Parts: sequence; C-alpha cells; structure tokens
Amino acid sequence: MTRVHIDPVTLATPLFILTIILEIVFARLGKAKASYETKDTAVSLAMGLGSTVAGVLTGGVIVAATLWVWQHRLFDIPMTAAWAWVAIFLLEDMTYYWFHRISHERRFWWVSHVNHHSSQHYNLSTALRQTWTGAFNGSWLLWLPLAWLGFPPAMIALQKGVSLVYQYWIHTEAVGRMPRWFEAVFNTPSHHRVHHARNPVYLDRNYAGILIVWDRMFGTFQPELDEEPCRYGLVKNLATFNIVRVAFHEWIAMAGDALRHPRHALGYVFGPPGWSHDGSRETSAMLKARATSPAAAGATGPQPAAPQESPA
Amino acid sequence: MNAGFFVQLGASAAAVGALVALAAWAKIARPVSPLDEHKAREMLAEEFPGRRIDAVWVASDGAGALARSGGLALVLCRVGDGFAARQIPWAQAIAASFRDGRLRLNLADVAAPTAVIALPAWPPKDLAA
Ligand SMILES: [Zn+2]
Ligand SMILES: [Zn+2]
Repeated sequence: MTRVHIDPVTLATPLFILTIILEIVFARLGKAKASYETKDTAVSLAMGLGSTVAGVLTGGVIVAATLWVWQHRLFDIPMTAAWAWVAIFLLEDMTYYWFHRISHERRFWWVSHVNHHSSQHYNLSTALRQTWTGAFNGSWLLWLPLAWLGFPPAMIALQKGVSLVYQYWIHTEAVGRMPRWFEAVFNTPSHHRVHHARNPVYLDRNYAGILIVWDRMFGTFQPELDEEPCRYGLVKNLATFNIVRVAFHEWIAMAGDALRHPRHALGYVFGPPGWSHDGSRETSAMLKARATSPAAAGATGPQPAAPQESPA
Repeated sequence: MNAGFFVQLGASAAAVGALVALAAWAKIARPVSPLDEHKAREMLAEEFPGRRIDAVWVASDGAGALARSGGLALVLCRVGDGFAARQIPWAQAIAASFRDGRLRLNLADVAAPTAVIALPAWPPKDLAA
C-alpha cells in the first residue's frame, strides 16, 4: 500500500501551539473571550501528549487490521480520483458521527470519551484533551467497512486526520457565530460548545465531526441558545486534577459497578452512562426529561446510595 | 518507535510546559468569589434540582459547602476555578474526620476522592441524629 507520509495532526502541531498562545495572549489583553485555569490547562495538554503516545503504541494493530480488510476489498477505489475524495469525506464524516454518538450513549465507549469532556473550560487546549484508552474500546472497527469497500488505508487515515484537525479550531469561546450558511452546513464553535455543555437541554447533542448536517438528519441537533449560556464539563464534574484519575476514573467506576452487581453487569457496561439497576442514578435522557417537564420539578429525584455517574 | 518519535515527543513536552507557564502568567482563570449561603443554595439547586435543603453549612473560606437533604449530605467543593458536587449518606458526613477546623469527607468516587471543608465545628449538635 501507499505509505502514510502525511499526518495532518503532526503537521498541524505547530499551529496548535501558536493558536493556543494567541488565544491566551488575546484573552489576557481583553481582546478575546477565553479563560484558562493553570491546572486544567496542564491536564488537557498532558492528556493530548499521552494520547499521541498511546496512539503510537496501539496504532500498529489498527493499521494491520485495516490493511488486512483492504486486501479483501470489494472494489478498487483510486486515490487519484476526485469523486473518491468526495466519497471518503462524506463517508468518514458520517462514520465519525456514529462513533461519537455511541461514545456518548453507551458507557463502554463513554469510559474513554469522557476524558475529552471532563474540563470545565472550553478553549483550544480542551481540543487536545484526548483519551489514552480509545483503542481498547474497539471503536476503530467502525472505520473498517471503508477499507472493505476499497478505500486505501492511507486515504482513510488522512481523512481521519483532517477531521481531527478541523475539530481543533472549533474549541473556542473567542468565536461567536459564523455566517448563517456556514452554521447550517458545518460544525462550528457554537455547535460544539453545545456539545461540551452540561446544561440538560444540551446533553447528548451535536455529535458532528465536520458537517453538522448529520445531527440535523439524525435528530440530535441543538442550536446554542442565547438565554441558556453553556456550562461546560460533566454532569458530575471531576474534583481532582490527578492525571491518572482523570484518565481512568470511568473505567474503574464501570468495573466496580459490574463487579458489585454481576447480575446487572451488562447494563452497567453497555447501558447508557448513568444507568443503574435500582434507578438510583440519572441518565442524560432522565436529566433532560426532568428539566423539560415542570411536573417533575417538585419531585425529589432519585435516592442514590452510591456516587453518581457522569454522563455528559 | 524511532529516534524521531522521541525527539518529537520531547519537543511536544517542552511546548506543553511553556504553554502551561504562559497560562499561569496570563491569570485568565474565571474569577471565583467565595461561596456565601445564598450562592451555595443557588448552586445546590442547580446541581441537585428539586431536592429539599434542610440546612446548609458554608465553608469559612468559601471554598465549599455541605447541605443536609433528608438522609443525604450534598457536598460542594472548589476545583480550580470551578466547583464539583457529590452526595453521600448523611451518616457518613456526620462520622467524617474533623481536625483543626477541617472536615475531610470521603466522597467514595475515583473522580472525586475527597472534599475538605473548613468549618468552625462539626458535627452540628442539633442535626447529629
Ligand atoms: Zn463528545
Ligand atoms: Zn470537543
């Protein structure tokens, strides 16, 4: 196969560094809306650095599997054809949407993705706050059908990198709204702020990578509302900056729940985050329902015996 | 992994250090004023919607608060320039260690191991039941 010589993420790293410097300096001068807390920034950037190491350690298996599938492909898709790039752009972006959606809706995938959401801040450093354990959840399997169709692995890897780099710049409060036509088609700072917010109305919305049209198509779109400012982070925010706890807390919590309640292990592993066998915790759907139904406002909520889960 | 990778990793780690130093220098965290009872109650209502609050104790440094809600203790604790909230059984809050004006609450959560709340006295005499 064609060796991957271009890694968009590596190429973009100097740009990441420069733009974070600019965001901090402009915020300091009062010229841009941004807030950075020192320990939070350190954790976000360390998670980003750690995720590149984890990517190198686990990348071999994923590349080998993708290659193997591609060798058994249905069609020969040429990297030189313009239509092939249009097709991979759309198919990869839709794959990302479903990967991202399952990462929020099922705890087994949430245990890794939670890392990206555990900051109470929303700035460019938050974009680099990436999981260390994503490869272990097997979500990379979702991209194998593209190789099976016949897209060369290098092409898939390149498009995945382009998507990751695109999603970097939208992690900012410095940009309000883009032009209307742009907000209609593309994922933007405004749409992704909603995705990172813990306000019930914003939970489990805007899963898009590059195109927001998937959320509009599949019913998960929520515009940012001026009367509902985004509060960022998890439903139950972290109370620690210890990087080991930050990286693994939800894995440990999930394993603990499954071991304590073996008869309900499947629910605790594959149910939505916040699911519990005795109704003592709340899922995003329950939180949303409670927030929108005034009748439930007087209710006392669940009677938890154990600490709550953290769906976001 | 080759030498190039380690060079890149080293450079990235240095960049991380520089960016964290820059963020510290800029002092652009969110301004957090200490909690008072009014703010604590507001935050409790947001974090535990619909829960009845029987009593609130606000930390003397404003960096946290503890509320009783029936059989539960609702805990707010400062994390950086934000707050985190958890709930534990009231009996555990009553039994928590209190030394030198600091109440150490075991929150029994990997993501929120302990909360330390500065209080003049603990447990409260009238609510210790
Ligand atoms: Zn997400
Ligand atoms: Zn994000």
